[in-house]
Amino acid sequence: MSFGYQDRVLKVDLTDGSTALEELSSDFKRNYVGGRGFNMKRLYERVPPEIDPLSADNVFFVSVGPLTGTSFPGAARVNFSAKSPQTGILGDSNTGGFFGPELKFAGYDQLVIEGQAPRPVYLYIKDDRVELRPAEDLLEKDALERQSHLMEELDDGRLQVAAIGPAANNGVKFSGIFCNQVRAAARTGMGLVMASKNLQAIAVRGTKGVRVKRPKEFGELIEGLDKEIREHPEYEDRLMMGTTKLISQLNEAGCLATRHFQTGRFEDADRVSGEYLAENYKKKNKGCFSCTIPCSRFLEIESGKYEGLKTEGPEFEGLAGFSSRVGVNDVKATLKGVDLCNRYGMDVISTSECISFSMELYERGILTKEDVDGLELSWGNEGAILELAEKIGRREGFGDLLADGVRSAAERIGGEAQRYAMHVKGLEVFQADPRGIKAYALGFAVASRGGDHLRSEPSFEFKEDPEEGQERFGVPESAFRLEYKGKGKVVNFHEKRSAFADSLEVCKNTISNMEILSYAEGAKLLNALTGMDFSAAELERSMERIVNLERAYIVREGVRRADDTLPRRFLEEPLPEECGPSAGSVVELAPMLDEYYEEHGWDKETGIPKAEKLRSLGLENVLADLKSRGILD
Amino acid sequence: MYDLKVTVDEVQGFCDLPMEEGDHFWVKGGRIITPPGQGVCLWALQSMMPFFPAKQRVIEEENDWIPDTKRLICPDPNGGVVFKIERLDPQTGEPLEEKGGKDPPPRILVDPDKCSGCRACETVCSLAHGDSFGAGSSRIRVEKDEPAGVDRPLVCRQCGDAPCVKVCPTGALGRDPETGAVTVAEEKCVQCGKCVQACPFEGIFLPSADEAPLVCDLCGGEPRCVKRCPTEALKFGNAGSIGES
Repeated sequence: MSFGYQDRVLKVDLTDGSTALEELSSDFKRNYVGGRGFNMKRLYERVPPEIDPLSADNVFFVSVGPLTGTSFPGAARVNFSAKSPQTGILGDSNTGGFFGPELKFAGYDQLVIEGQAPRPVYLYIKDDRVELRPAEDLLEKDALERQSHLMEELDDGRLQVAAIGPAANNGVKFSGIFCNQVRAAARTGMGLVMASKNLQAIAVRGTKGVRVKRPKEFGELIEGLDKEIREHPEYEDRLMMGTTKLISQLNEAGCLATRHFQTGRFEDADRVSGEYLAENYKKKNKGCFSCTIPCSRFLEIESGKYEGLKTEGPEFEGLAGFSSRVGVNDVKATLKGVDLCNRYGMDVISTSECISFSMELYERGILTKEDVDGLELSWGNEGAILELAEKIGRREGFGDLLADGVRSAAERIGGEAQRYAMHVKGLEVFQADPRGIKAYALGFAVASRGGDHLRSEPSFEFKEDPEEGQERFGVPESAFRLEYKGKGKVVNFHEKRSAFADSLEVCKNTISNMEILSYAEGAKLLNALTGMDFSAAELERSMERIVNLERAYIVREGVRRADDTLPRRFLEEPLPEECGPSAGSVVELAPMLDEYYEEHGWDKETGIPKAEKLRSLGLENVLADLKSRGILD
Repeated sequence: MYDLKVTVDEVQGFCDLPMEEGDHFWVKGGRIITPPGQGVCLWALQSMMPFFPAKQRVIEEENDWIPDTKRLICPDPNGGVVFKIERLDPQTGEPLEEKGGKDPPPRILVDPDKCSGCRACETVCSLAHGDSFGAGSSRIRVEKDEPAGVDRPLVCRQCGDAPCVKVCPTGALGRDPETGAVTVAEEKCVQCGKCVQACPFEGIFLPSADEAPLVCDLCGGEPRCVKRCPTEALKFGNAGSIGES
């Protein structure tokens, strides 16, 4: 009998429609814990550099973690992984909501989906019943309607659906997977991987439940965590605004991505802030599964141009992406922009980068009106912005050029354009200016999935407590966002914390930002749940193993130190005068990278993990593989 | 026929008239009488009016709910002025001690407008009642309509005269003498599902065709779901207090 885990992996071959079950081995659980860890292990083994991400040979993995579906606060998440068609390297994205728990209740820890269906299908899983069903009628609908449609078709109000949208079917590289209407796993183009396999959606319903080895102890531990969350200093703000609180905070700090990172202060921030949204549009809180700090919000526009728009969200990324980043100060247009991305099924970060990039090129005369289908791409022109978003979703006209992502668009436009493409390794960067947050800057220079903040989420640098910096990282400056010293250590710490959150499949707001659940508490909790005997040290080591495995994966794809870099603006152009405390700042990347590699036991010159590091983590297979490919000797 | 005394028992919110605690008036026959110089809130009055004749009548029958109902709240959600209605002794003119007038036991009160839809309530319920997670063993369930932003916790309302108990053909359903919660004697249950059909609130569930129904047992008087609810969409108490819909 299984506890915590369901001990089952479902394998689906879309080419011939066959399915098979595999039991989870206890080594797999011990060494990779769950979720992202499970996916990365299989991704490394199954999808080497020879495989084209859009071919039938790419393998698509869906994993939940040991805590998914339990009462752990925010035990809601699920990871979708494959080789990324957007970046060509590691593809991985996760989301909250209710899909993950339902998959767990259906009796699975992981799905391994391979091949390519001969015609559009969706995968229907109800407990032990697994079917591929025709999905032609979904193609006409948007990503949100597809979910509702399947709930109606299968007549099940508790059905959970992960669906792609028209953008994926049209071949947009940054198309995502959408659950619970707007909860998006949208980074690195996992939606496009599904589309390439002709898999339009996964619909799941489970009635099996998750068994607990020592229910009383587990329940008591959760009560303690609930209390810790409720008493946390960030509790009230997070409950009111969720991540949208960052608009005001980053604007104040002078590093809110504004007009495509030309400055860090948006003069109209108070008209698009989390506070403003909460006051004027919020109907009520919304939460992911089992969350005791439900930070999402249901909003409604009751009058004006976009009257009748009802939506959950947005998060900070969508909110800033369609306001400060593109110069829009009417939050209703911002909400409409995010809604368009959701309905087409596209990543808001990548979409807003592609649009704001075009706007800067237009401002600089690198693109003319003729180049952009006659759109007047001036800052804040909401009509043109929304139209361009739709053009991207449909791959139409100038939108077609942007739909391959900003790296490819800049290459095709050529010349100066490449200087303004804000991406790392082909993944567009988020809505805070890295010049004002140095650990984040380092974090996305090195992130295994490209320009991404969530591989580390190094929020320690906001502490502003030199003693704590000294105590925890041996560097007082590490607790200050504008300093670069100690950031290699901070990012190393937070990379493991993020891997911890993603392997347990719980929320980073609590695990990373609020630092809930030490490894020791995590071990205790997992042991009460599963009856296994994890230790704190072993858990932390497993996280290090996952980080190293991911590094090895992208190294095998050709990534080296030279690729761990940032767009030139962040390295060379100081933030302008108006940015208050962040004014004059640039990213001192080289010394941070040195410290970072050293901290990891990776070679400083190349960024390749050293053989002894891989060996010490039990990654002998990886070592042998890198050796056989001549990457290590 | 009784005469009535109506007194402001409690002001839970803010009343700008103001009606204050202790303010009162009488209903004598067909007339409303206020003390000299005192008034009564028109809106509170109009909402209570239909109730006065019912309270005045004398009914001799079992299960008469009229004596139980003696606190009414004004219709202004911000006001929350609670009026106490007392029957007067025809001989002395003093308020009567009414038989059967004790408050009903507290139950789980639900405010869907506050519910975030997180289903944290389901997780603690299923763990406490089934040593596992999954709605299969939870006695509270959140019904959701995501596009409309609707989240509706479904849970037993512990009705005074519960249709589920009345309809049960085998006497499997009863009431807990301490908490008043509906109880299920599994050994008597024949899984006919009549209780589920009878419940107007979808508060009792059949987990599968061959299992006894699941219904909230109030955790013996300290419901875990209420304790865990992060938005106060769930409360434990009696209807009539602020926040209940």
